[in-house]
Amino acid sequence: MDKLELAYWIGLLKDQVITPIFGDGAFGVLVQNVIVAFAVFGLLSLIALFLVWWERKISAHIQQRFGPMMTGWHGVLQTIADAVKLIQKEDITPKVADRAVFFWAPIICFACAFAAYVVIPWGDGLIVSDLNVGILYIIAITTFTIISLLMAGWGSNNKYALLGGMRSAAQAVSYEVPLALSILGVVMVSGSMSMQEIVKAQSGWGGFHWNIFFQPLGFFIYIIAATAEANRTPFDLPEAEQELIAGFNVEYSGMKFAMFFLAEFVNMFTVSAIATTVFLGGWNGPILPSWVWFLGKTLFMVFLFMMFRWTYPRLRVDQLMEFAWKVLLPLAFLNILYVGVVAKWLNW
Amino acid sequence: MVELVKEFASGIYNLVLGMFTTGKHLGRHAITIQYPKERWEVPERSRGMVVLLTDHETGELNCTACLLCMRACPSSAITIEVVKDENNKRVLTGFNLNYNICCFCGLCEESCNFAGIKLATKYEFPAWDKSELQWDIKKLQDMGMDVPYEKPERKKPAPKKPVEKKPAEEKPAAEPKAEAKPAAEAEQKPDDTPADKPADADKTEGEG
Amino acid sequence: MAEQLRTETMTVNMGPHHPSTHGVCRLILTIDGENVVDCVPDIGFLHRAIEKICENRTYPQCIPLMDRFEYVTSMMCNWGFALATEKLTDLEVPERAEYLRVIMGELNRIASHLLCIGVTGLDLGALTPFLYTFREREDILDLFEMTCGQRLTYNYIRIGGVARDIPPEFYPKCRQFLDKIDAKCDDYEKVLTENPIWIARNKGVGILTEQLVLDYAVSGPSARASGVNFDIRKHDTYSIYDRFNFDVPVFHGCDSYDRYRARMAEIRQSARIVRQALDQMPEGEIRAKVSPKFKPKVGEVYSRVENSRGEMGFHIISDGTVKPYRVRARGGSYNHLLVTPEIVKGLKIADLVAIFASLDIIMPEIDR
Repeated sequence: MDKLELAYWIGLLKDQVITPIFGDGAFGVLVQNVIVAFAVFGLLSLIALFLVWWERKISAHIQQRFGPMMTGWHGVLQTIADAVKLIQKEDITPKVADRAVFFWAPIICFACAFAAYVVIPWGDGLIVSDLNVGILYIIAITTFTIISLLMAGWGSNNKYALLGGMRSAAQAVSYEVPLALSILGVVMVSGSMSMQEIVKAQSGWGGFHWNIFFQPLGFFIYIIAATAEANRTPFDLPEAEQELIAGFNVEYSGMKFAMFFLAEFVNMFTVSAIATTVFLGGWNGPILPSWVWFLGKTLFMVFLFMMFRWTYPRLRVDQLMEFAWKVLLPLAFLNILYVGVVAKWLNW
Repeated sequence: MVELVKEFASGIYNLVLGMFTTGKHLGRHAITIQYPKERWEVPERSRGMVVLLTDHETGELNCTACLLCMRACPSSAITIEVVKDENNKRVLTGFNLNYNICCFCGLCEESCNFAGIKLATKYEFPAWDKSELQWDIKKLQDMGMDVPYEKPERKKPAPKKPVEKKPAEEKPAAEPKAEAKPAAEAEQKPDDTPADKPADADKTEGEG
Repeated sequence: MAEQLRTETMTVNMGPHHPSTHGVCRLILTIDGENVVDCVPDIGFLHRAIEKICENRTYPQCIPLMDRFEYVTSMMCNWGFALATEKLTDLEVPERAEYLRVIMGELNRIASHLLCIGVTGLDLGALTPFLYTFREREDILDLFEMTCGQRLTYNYIRIGGVARDIPPEFYPKCRQFLDKIDAKCDDYEKVLTENPIWIARNKGVGILTEQLVLDYAVSGPSARASGVNFDIRKHDTYSIYDRFNFDVPVFHGCDSYDRYRARMAEIRQSARIVRQALDQMPEGEIRAKVSPKFKPKVGEVYSRVENSRGEMGFHIISDGTVKPYRVRARGGSYNHLLVTPEIVKGLKIADLVAIFASLDIIMPEIDR
């Protein structure tokens, strides 16, 4: 295996360090898993911090501003400074809030955002656990985020928060359907729900046998549904600042708010990673090591989402629902029909 | 059906067009500046901090304590303390400016005939406490030390002796409307400031 | 089943501290889910008693107060008050001063419309056009600061003329700005006008019928977007507007989208007026002689100017002393706020925000 591949070094670490020390019994496996969990968690936290900074920079440059400039080189440490500030802040729980629900909402949101990374293939052989229903697992686990938003909206006992929570529930229910259906087309072609298998199915043509070339419609639907899924403008209705002030997280402060905030960025990275894996050939690509391809494609998708956010106005709630059920859903069925007929016909 | 597709396509086209417009700006230079590090050059007419001007030759304030600025101030931010010395000369003893209520309208500067008060281009004078924003004559003078200004043609009447008479005999030179003064005391009759003040300020001629 | 599903309306306080109420307006909303059932505006959070304060100030001292009356277009407020006072006194304004007033007023109108368009985008979630319009607005404010020393409270247009002549560097900068404003407007239009989301959010939303316009005395671009062709500059000419060649854009859509388009069109028309004014401007005096103890004749007057948000009028009663006996100011936003409940009923909260922004309501003009 190529020495540039991370999987090679991780395998080396496992063989040379962990197994000799902890053995390969149950304890050794436990230690291994804990290390992997922490490694993924740490990496994702770093990515989330980076994305926050990156979004601020991109928005600033689109708007011909500088963005953060003071902390570190071009303000790269700004997010860390913000996080430190948020941790120091008083953690306020409103008097009339439903305390348990209010407390657990950000934690669930945070945990679910990270849990999706169990099945994301970062590179060749670089996956925490290659579940054979990987994509289904992701769709299931990301839906939990919506429950946490609903909990936050309800638990805050605030009218704006409640409206935000309700909107998020309605939106999630509507957009889950076209999202899942658009992925279904790919699953039909690759014949597996395992993320690794989906990526491997796209490895032809020197690593450019991407699903997007065969299912552009599916990709289009996925992008739109994913934007809604990640609560990004133009579908950021649950937290529409100008209408609901901040929607579901209006009552949150300090670390709990930071959890929601980071979870939003992790979610954005998740949907980008899925788009990469499912439509853009995952880690497939020539010359460069696989993890670089994966990160590059994913960050490009993230960039696209950021451009959406800083360009478009927000849809109204009824238009949002209408769009999901009257436009996206028929298109998604059309896509499945097209994949079913063409894939069978041409035998991809 | 064709209509629908057409509409859909134009919608997508315009969405992409919008993205290109914002994307075009992505590569452009920022138009803002990093404020504390770099500063914008404020136009010379900018109305900022109100200061008292000093005659650099004599080291005395240009102010003649005529109270015109105090009367012109719409928010009564200026308080002037004047005493009359033995030969009935008006002596400025105190000049207080309350920045809490000052509205930076510039009427005081306009009303002054002796370049005594000016709205300088300085704009940074925050304070922790409201009481720090009540400036006395010393502070106002210190802040005005480095403010450039044009000496008015009309000389300050202070150095010589007949101070009480000087403004009174100066007045007929530039006073077109006597009926407007009902029963104002003779020495504080305001001259016609606005008329000649802008006149020397703009020797500008347009190109258009 | 239907009886078990009992729903009730909810009362929500929108404001006074809400990002979309443009100042401190409180809207007491009764909402049924997302639908607005009732909307009661509650005003007075920004009340500064400007009219009353004017009674204790001399006429020249009132002008800086008028800056605060409607701080987005302070030039117009200065102008309106000065115009009313001049009418009261039959004061002749030098010709160059009239041209300077027109230039400043129209530039201020552009600045105000840019603000409105940017804020409408902001309220609908498009954050970037806001910064773009502000970029151009900054250029105008630079011109103002160069001329009169302030960026917001100008205190420039005085009774009998203007405060100072424009500096020589004003001309090239102003021409430069006028040259680029059309291209910049095209830029905004690329991001907004044809954007399907923008159209979906604005078209057919907030129908302000012609009847409502007449009933509530709505004026300005909002009225002209409802097919009412009324512009004080054209139809009750003041100053020297009869010397310029400009169109009054009238639209018939009655909705938020046409109100936005009316403003966009007016920016271009205003730029046209400024170009002509710069070309025609004569040399000469800029201010009639007015003493600080200026006394108008006994009497009363109502005079109006076309502000960027509608008719702005000043009613002054003079008793012949140095201070006005009574000043009453009229701003367009008050009528716009009054008509808002009529047109938002049955719409969504998000629409309310869009309508509020498109009517260009700002609170200082209402509360005074």
